[in-house]
Amino acid sequence: MAELRGSFGVARNHLLTRWFGTEDLHRLEVYESKAGGYAALRKALLDMKPADLVNEVKTSGLRGRGGAGFATGVKWSFINRDAPGPKYVVVNADESEPGTSKDRYIMENSPHMLLEGIMIAAYAVGANQAWVYIRGEYDGPHRMLVEAIAEARAKGYLGPKPMGVNYPLDIQLYRGHGAYICGEETALLESLEGKRAQPRSRPPFPAVKGAWARPTLLNNVETLSTVPWIINNGGAAYVKFGTEKSPGTRLMSVSGNVRKPGVYEVELGQTFRHVIMELAGGPPEGRRMKVFWPGGSSAPVLPESMLDTHTDMEALAAARSMGGSGGVIVMDDSHCVVKAASRLLRFYAHESCGKCTPCRVGGDWAVRTYDRILANEGSQVELGILERVADGLQNGRCLCGLGDSAGWVIDSTFRHFREEYEDHALRHTCKVGSDA
Amino acid sequence: MSTKGTSDARGAENGARKGSADAKRAESPHGTNALPEHVLDEIRELPARYPQHRSAVMPALDLAQEELGFLSPEAMSEVAAALDLDPGYVEGVATFYTLFHLQPIGRHRFYVCTNLSCSLRGSSDIVEHVKSAIGVREAGEVSKDGLFSYEEVECLGACEYAPMMRLDHEYHYDLTPVTITSLVAERRAPLSAAAKASRSRTRVAAPPDKAPPKKRAPRTKKIG
Repeated sequence: MAELRGSFGVARNHLLTRWFGTEDLHRLEVYESKAGGYAALRKALLDMKPADLVNEVKTSGLRGRGGAGFATGVKWSFINRDAPGPKYVVVNADESEPGTSKDRYIMENSPHMLLEGIMIAAYAVGANQAWVYIRGEYDGPHRMLVEAIAEARAKGYLGPKPMGVNYPLDIQLYRGHGAYICGEETALLESLEGKRAQPRSRPPFPAVKGAWARPTLLNNVETLSTVPWIINNGGAAYVKFGTEKSPGTRLMSVSGNVRKPGVYEVELGQTFRHVIMELAGGPPEGRRMKVFWPGGSSAPVLPESMLDTHTDMEALAAARSMGGSGGVIVMDDSHCVVKAASRLLRFYAHESCGKCTPCRVGGDWAVRTYDRILANEGSQVELGILERVADGLQNGRCLCGLGDSAGWVIDSTFRHFREEYEDHALRHTCKVGSDA
Repeated sequence: MSTKGTSDARGAENGARKGSADAKRAESPHGTNALPEHVLDEIRELPARYPQHRSAVMPALDLAQEELGFLSPEAMSEVAAALDLDPGYVEGVATFYTLFHLQPIGRHRFYVCTNLSCSLRGSSDIVEHVKSAIGVREAGEVSKDGLFSYEEVECLGACEYAPMMRLDHEYHYDLTPVTITSLVAERRAPLSAAAKASRSRTRVAAPPDKAPPKKRAPRTKKIG
């Protein structure tokens, strides 16, 4: 068995990862016989009405695991199941938020868990066709899904009469081609339609006018993979985990300067100290942790002093950050915050789709300003520019969150590490001296 | 399509500058950078899979790139004609996405992640090792033998195995200078089975590797 890094096996809070590590779990027969797979689909199709499914997910309080944390059941209820014509489920498997690898972890370990969740969602919202938009670099997960879909078709779970019920279901894959922006739901839809991935203005929301102008449910891989557990055990059982407003568990991929990087299933409300210091083993020998990104690179940074922040979305909002994609990036004291921020701004500038001016122009401004600062050509002027650019990128001035995210990187590193910026810009020194 | 004329010229120039590989590549395998009929047939069948034919543009460009190694202006025009789309539109899509290559690239591409999680664990050293191992000075440059090029890419979503990269449709984890050297050596040895397998165009489905590929086992785990 190849080495899994992260959660698997029996533990109270392993709702998703309980069976991970089981040999051949990616095979349909193993998923069914060992992990009780497709029982939720059977229950959904044979014993429940679509409205019951939506209500069950609402009861669970499950919130989207892609980044925004929107209530999943509520999202499902936005789709008018009785509207004539085709409706779609589109699965966001374009995981590209820096520091995030949880969806890959799911697809590689238990592709059928995702497929089962997709099928239940499709039935709940009245869709017969689902599309999984998977990032082009994910060759491995793509192969896993191709195989899993073939198995599900052969078994009849995908096809004209899944579980003998007259409700045709099909799932197709669509590969992305390397664009971070496609993680944004409307950009993803544009891409799926064969266009340059530039976000749409909303309204209309995808629930009304999504893929190919049809009502569309868009959910993240992890979100849908949680659905079978909820249908099997009930929404009420799910809320016993986590906090009142952020129920359940989520996968957090911990990376960077930790001893045991991995994808860990964490009950929401546990502290980052638990996640980073216990699960991921803390910083390497002789190093001290300095800062962490709690939810992918887009989530505003938190300094080491805020390690006791809880992982639920409300606690993170109170700490002026967010749960985002669950990607926890840890940086120790051998690295420079300004260089790290500069690297991330390069990323956001590169990935800007160019549609909205603040993001298109602001990203490049920030990169050039960071370059001057890191070349010891900075002054108070450069610090002022960064602050203004950060402000210009934020607060809904762009159609999607990419601009905000870039702004938050500047803003939050400034907020917590002003002195490092001043070292670089005003005193032309770096107390750390290493690469980011 | 204003780049059309110049990019041919540039291709030839590159070929002269970087050795014979580019020049050979720019002409091969069909002499004209045009797509063979069987690929065009495949492309014409794509639109039926989607609610609207436009969605076929990226899968079609994939097929074209798989055939030629990169997307020549001619290939993009042919894709456009096969799908009944405007050539400028097709080029607009191709230029938007980083996995479409508009210039010839090495047969084996190192996509080295240099985003934060990997850079915190030494990806800049890995990039340097890749450059010296394949003998190029900058991203996108093709090695003299035409076999290799590299790119620094954004997060590839396997952060727990950092530093990591994508090479020949597979992820490679926990990179060290030693792994880079052996990956390059395997691909230089023309008759080795591993190199042959990695060059074949049609790949059989194989599951992803979850572990650091210590000896670069072509993923041989059990899947159907």
